[in-house]
Amino acid sequence: MKTTCEADIRILPGGAVITLSGEIDGHAADTLTQGYERAVADGDPATVVLDFAAVQYINSTGIALIVSVLARARSQGRKVVASGLSDHYREIFDITRLSDFIELFPSIDGAVSQIREAAG
Amino acid sequence: MTSMASSSYHKLASFTVPSEPGNERIALAQVADAVAGQGLPESRLDRLKTAVAEAAMNAIEHGNRNQAEIPVDIEVVAADGDIVVTITDQGGAPEQAGPGEEPDLVRKLAGEQAPRGWGLFLIRHMVDAMDVTTEGTRHTVTLIMRTGAAEEGGPREDHV
Repeated sequence: MKTTCEADIRILPGGAVITLSGEIDGHAADTLTQGYERAVADGDPATVVLDFAAVQYINSTGIALIVSVLARARSQGRKVVASGLSDHYREIFDITRLSDFIELFPSIDGAVSQIREAAG
Repeated sequence: MTSMASSSYHKLASFTVPSEPGNERIALAQVADAVAGQGLPESRLDRLKTAVAEAAMNAIEHGNRNQAEIPVDIEVVAADGDIVVTITDQGGAPEQAGPGEEPDLVRKLAGEQAPRGWGLFLIRHMVDAMDVTTEGTRHTVTLIMRTGAAEEGGPREDHV
């Protein structure tokens, strides 16, 4: 049963948005890694937004992929925020402590507003 | 642990999935269908689905080593206000004895622990109780979730 994940990139002043859709599982590794690389390739964004509003499923391997993206971003001095998580996956971000390191916004609008305010 | 001899014992579903990566999605969908109408609030159904998916993924990958011809057996039972899901592979006892290292995000971010290793951790936090038994090659994970609207909260007990 092949699963799918897609990532669309949007560059903003001071930040980049990675809009994810589909399933974040083992098959999403290349999509997530390459999505992050595309997001930071130009403009050296201070903040990377992971938008999960169109994600239907995240499993433990997907959590590990998110941990890897977070570790990479932190090593490059970037902040990671997330938007659009369902209540269930917000709970999982709390249990795993990802929410200690990734600020959560209910929707992409809140995350983008923060980027714009930070960019002046 | 819930007695299978309970007078309210009622089998809701019994099925198998081939041991192919991704088939945990089939398992969680069929378990969700089986427990529909059993009184699980949506948030607890989401937890059960995550636990089933993680246990099925472990059975497929680690138990049956992605050999499609070896099925993962799944049974769903309602008994005394509990939903009991058993997930069985043919991998025998896991190679690692005793509890594994608890995932620690701080250590993972520092590169001191691999990013993976969240599966069992998630299962334990999603259900009210779990049990792991091995009988010959049959390795079974039992997940227990109470039904009822007043059941929001953490795990009731942990047998692992």
